Amino acid sequence: MLLFRSEEHIDRWSQARDLPRGATLTPEQGWRLAHGWYKDKVKPDWRRHTLEETEALLREVGLTGPFWNLRDA
Amino acid sequence: MSTSGSPNAEELAREVRLYVFRQAAETARVPQAPEIAAALHRSEADVVGAVKQLATGKVLILAPNDGNIWAANPFCAVPSCFRVQVGDKTYSGICIWDALGICAALGHDAVISAPCGDCGDPMRLEIRQSRLAHSEGIIHFAVPAHHWWDNIGFT
Repeated sequence: MLLFRSEEHIDRWSQARDLPRGATLTPEQGWRLAHGWYKDKVKPDWRRHTLEETEALLREVGLTGPFWNLRDA
Repeated sequence: MSTSGSPNAEELAREVRLYVFRQAAETARVPQAPEIAAALHRSEADVVGAVKQLATGKVLILAPNDGNIWAANPFCAVPSCFRVQVGDKTYSGICIWDALGICAALGHDAVISAPCGDCGDPMRLEIRQSRLAHSEGIIHFAVPAHHWWDNIGFT
């Protein structure tokens, strides 16, 4: 997951590597996703999120659609 | 050596997890097996087994070449271009998500510096009181979520 100056820079990066464009997040969405994902990681009682919890987090951050599907197609 | 999955192995994996992440958070440096073994008074072979168990459980990520811990994610064990400054400590993340994750895991105000993935232009994000106080740029995920762990290094 990389940070880019603008959409144009993402296009240029993708084209240079012959890769399809992925999905974009605002930094605010990135922060909310990272916060939900990692805020407890150092705590003794940390555990991995369940699939359902991860799906709920993605939805809360506004990340929906096929790109964010975590289950087998 | 303990058998992976046994109660003893589970307990050791927990001890190793707590030590690795506590050290990473407190020192900005991710410890490797010899240091972990010495600190926990365990054999290095047992610790290597526990680290592998944690990697299998996607708790941390091993380097593909030497089996060392590459990232106790969000904390990267080697310097990267995704830097997180917290007071006088500088942390590294393997990507912008993990750089933000370091701020979340530590719960402290922090400044992230990261280059544009295309042109290398430096950018800055700032977390204050658990809020994104300053930002620039756009985050791009190249890999669909279902395939993140197919090649986590690329992801």
